[in-house]
Parts: sequence; C-alpha cells; structure tokens
Amino acid sequence: METFLQQFPIVFQALNVGFLQTLRLFGVTLLGAIPLGLIIMFGSMSRFKPLSVLTNLFVWVIRGTPLMIQLLIIYYFPGLVLHVTFWAKGESGRFAASAVAFIINYACYFSEIYRGGIQSIPVGQWEAGQVLGMTRGQIFFRVILLQVVKRIVPPMGNEIITLVKDTALARIIALQEIIWAGTAFLKGSQGISGQVWPLFFTAIYYLVFSGILTLLLGWVEKKMDYFRG
Amino acid sequence: MAILEVNHIQKSFGGTAVLKDISFSLEKGQVLSIIGSSGSGKTTLLRCLNFLETAESGTIRVNGKTLFDGENHKQLSDGEIRKNRLHFGLVFQSFNLFPQYTVLENVMLAPKLMKKAPAAQLEQRALQLIEKVGLSNRVNNYPCQLSGGQQQRVAIARALALEPDILCFDEPTSALDPELTGEVLRVIRGLKNADRTIIIVTHEMEFARSISDRVIFMADGVIEEEGTPEQVFGNPQSAKTRQFLSSSLEHF
Ligand SMILES: Nc1ncnc2c1ncn2[C@@H]1O[C@H](COP(=O)(O)OP(=O)(O)OP(=O)(O)O)[C@@H](O)[C@H]1O
Ligand SMILES: [Mg+2]
Repeated sequence: METFLQQFPIVFQALNVGFLQTLRLFGVTLLGAIPLGLIIMFGSMSRFKPLSVLTNLFVWVIRGTPLMIQLLIIYYFPGLVLHVTFWAKGESGRFAASAVAFIINYACYFSEIYRGGIQSIPVGQWEAGQVLGMTRGQIFFRVILLQVVKRIVPPMGNEIITLVKDTALARIIALQEIIWAGTAFLKGSQGISGQVWPLFFTAIYYLVFSGILTLLLGWVEKKMDYFRG
Repeated sequence: MAILEVNHIQKSFGGTAVLKDISFSLEKGQVLSIIGSSGSGKTTLLRCLNFLETAESGTIRVNGKTLFDGENHKQLSDGEIRKNRLHFGLVFQSFNLFPQYTVLENVMLAPKLMKKAPAAQLEQRALQLIEKVGLSNRVNNYPCQLSGGQQQRVAIARALALEPDILCFDEPTSALDPELTGEVLRVIRGLKNADRTIIIVTHEMEFARSISDRVIFMADGVIEEEGTPEQVFGNPQSAKTRQFLSSSLEHF
C-alpha cells in the first residue's frame, strides 16, 4: 500500500503527459478531417468522372486497409524507400506523421457520412427552394445544411468515440501517448518497474473522456430536437 | 389577352414520350383543373411550367412574354430561369415545408433572401397570408407540430408570398386524410374568390367541377378533351373521358 501511494503521483504525472499527447492527436485529427472530408465528398460526388472515380478508389483503399498499416507506411516510406528525411526527428516528427495518417483516414470515413447525409435529404426540399426562386447556394446553406447536420450527428458521434480509442494505434510508431506512458512502468521508468496497474489505469482516462464526449454529443442532438427532418 | 399560353410542349424521359404536343391557354383570374389517370403526364406538365423539368420543344408565354422557347432554351442562364420561375408558384402533393423553420420563417424565407422589401414589411405581409390560410395561432410552430392539412395551408401561404401570376397545385389533398381535405380546398376556393389565376391537378372530381372555369382531361400525354366543367363532366365527347369519369365516380 505504501509503495502504491508513493508511486501514484509519479504515475499520475506521466499518464497526464501521455494523455495530453492523446488529446492533441484527437483534436488535430478532428480539426483536419472534418473539412478534408467535405473536400473528399465533393470529389467523390463530382460530375467530372475521372475525379469521382479516382476519389472513390482512394476512399476504398483507405477504408479497406488498417489504419495501423497506413501509419507505418506514412512514417517509414519516405525514409526507408525514398531515402529522404521527411519527418522531423523525435516526438514532433512522430506526431506530424500520426496526424497526417489519422486525418486522411478519418476524412475518408467522414466523407462517406456527409455523402449519405446529403443524399438522404428528399429532393422535394431542393425543388421547393427552386420553385421559390432560391439559388443553389441559398438552398444548400439555408435549407439543406442544417438537416444534413442533424442527420449526421449520430454517425459522426460514433466515429468520434472510435477516434478517441484509435489514437492508441499511434504507439506503433512510438508516439508517446497515454498507453505508451502506461506501458513504460512495465519495463521500468522513474524508479518504477514491473507494474501493470498504470496500464490498466489508462482505461479510466479513456472512459472519462469518451463519457464527456457522449454527453456533449447528446446535448448537440437534443439542441436539434425541435425539428424533424 | 390570355395570361398563359402554352404551345406544342413536348417532353420525354429516356425515349418515352410523356407529353406529346400540349397546347392550351388560360385567362387571368381563371381556374383550370387538369384531370386524368395516373401516368398521363399531369405532374410532368406542371413541372415543365415551373422549370423543374425542361421541355424539349414548344413555348410558354406569360402575359405575352416568352419565358420558354424550346428552340433556344440552352442559352438561358440560371438567373434568367430563376426569374422566369417567379411567374409561377407550385404547391406540392407532399407539402415540402422546410422542417427547421417555423410557419412564419417558411413563408418569409424566400422573399427575405430576394430582398423584396424591408424585413418588417415582409413580416407583416407574411402574417397577413398566414391569417388568410387560417393559421394565425400557429405562426411560431414548426411543421412537425402541424397536421397535414395545416402544413399544406402553410405551403400555400409560402407560395403566395412571392406573388406569382399563376399558382399551380399538384394534387394538394392526395397526401391528406379525408377529413383534412376540406380545409385545404376551402383555402383554394378563397383564392379563386380573390381572382387568383390557378392551375390545379386533382383527383377530387366534385371540387374540380365546382371550382373550375376550364377543365382539361389528359390521357397518355395528350389533351384528350378540354372545355367548361359543364362540357367535360356533363357531356364528355371522348370515349376515354367518359370511361375515366365513370371509373373515378365509382370510388365514391
Ligand atoms: N423523372 C422521370 N424519369 C422517368 N420517367 C418519368 C419521370 N417523371 C415521370 N416519369 C414518367 O412519366 C409518366 C407521367 O408521369 P407524371 O408523374 O407526369 O404522371 P401523372 O399524370 O402526374 O400521374 P399521377 O396521377 O400518378 O400523379 C409516367 O409514366 C412516369 O413514369
Ligand atoms: Mg402526378
């Protein structure tokens, strides 16, 4: 018991540092993937056939392969195959590579959700706007968009909760996120070794964080309860 | 002079002719009913008038101005098509209200975007229209809080807000429970009394007979018979019309 009480502050501190990195990867991925997903969606829905075919092929490859492999390829490919140093040395380079892999991967999933959302809006909404003399832009932004947002909040919520846990994959290229911080005490770090409880303790971080996100998403859903569409 | 002149409109979908040489005209303040069996092209005709579909040939003139000419339609810009549309209003079978806006916002949205007048004035006008369709106590409700009949009345107010020359209805009561059709038909009757020019596609034969100045019976993409309600309902000349009328009366 005594040792646990002594170890706890040290472990807590280290896990907080790791969790900060987890949060950073989570935040940067959302910030990048939400708009990039929109661009990919426009590509995949383009009337210019070569563009839509190419985009859909890309989305298929990204969604059809493990994120872990994408991380490895993005991180190692430039150096090992092309013999160029693309990523900075150390943690900053690992973070940049992780962010790129996560953003691309999640943008592809988001683009499919956006596309499903837009296509699920009845054409009658577009036609009602057209008959009222509205421009396509006005119809999209004033009529369609909010209905799409309402419809995609639940599937986006699922993806976002998955992302919280997926960030742990970045450990494969040794990003020092929270699981990395937890496993450090197995091998030995800061005078503590052979301890498995810090690793289990990381689960509480994930639980609390995804709990907060679930509440937040529920609140957003509730905000849009006033209409049915 | 006729407010609307439609000449030789043709439209096909994937090689199947749906409208074959449709011509008719309509005087200002008149009500025209279009009847006909399912698939005869009634909706397609209304959609061509509202430029939701592009006819392949023919002309559409409103107040003597050519809005559509199959010969050179390709050259029209989006803006011109939008301007042409404003001569017509369209009330859909399925209402198509904007769910995230209140009754008042639904009616005001398009005029506001068009900056037709100062906002306060637009609101006043919208409130008048909402009163006219009998929904003054529902101004701040959302569509999901209204019955089908009430939603359709909002849709009528929304179409009127742009002051179209000709208001088109595509089976405005078909999606409603029988007990709700009366309130919508009463509003349309009120519009006739206010001398609106109206085209209505309907399966309500009694209503068509009593409200119309002209009736068109369509069959297989052509106007099979046209005339006053007395002529078309009372003394139909074509065998197809007679057959249609007798089979649709059997429903009642
Ligand atoms: N977008 C479209 N693509 C292909 N065919 C169409 C399209 N719209 C209508 N049609 C066809 O055109 C014909 C006429 O359809 P329309 O909807 O105008 O008939 P209608 O007289 O309104 O029938 P109803 O009384 O059932 O509403 C039908 O055979 C229909 O299948
Ligand atoms: Mg129809």
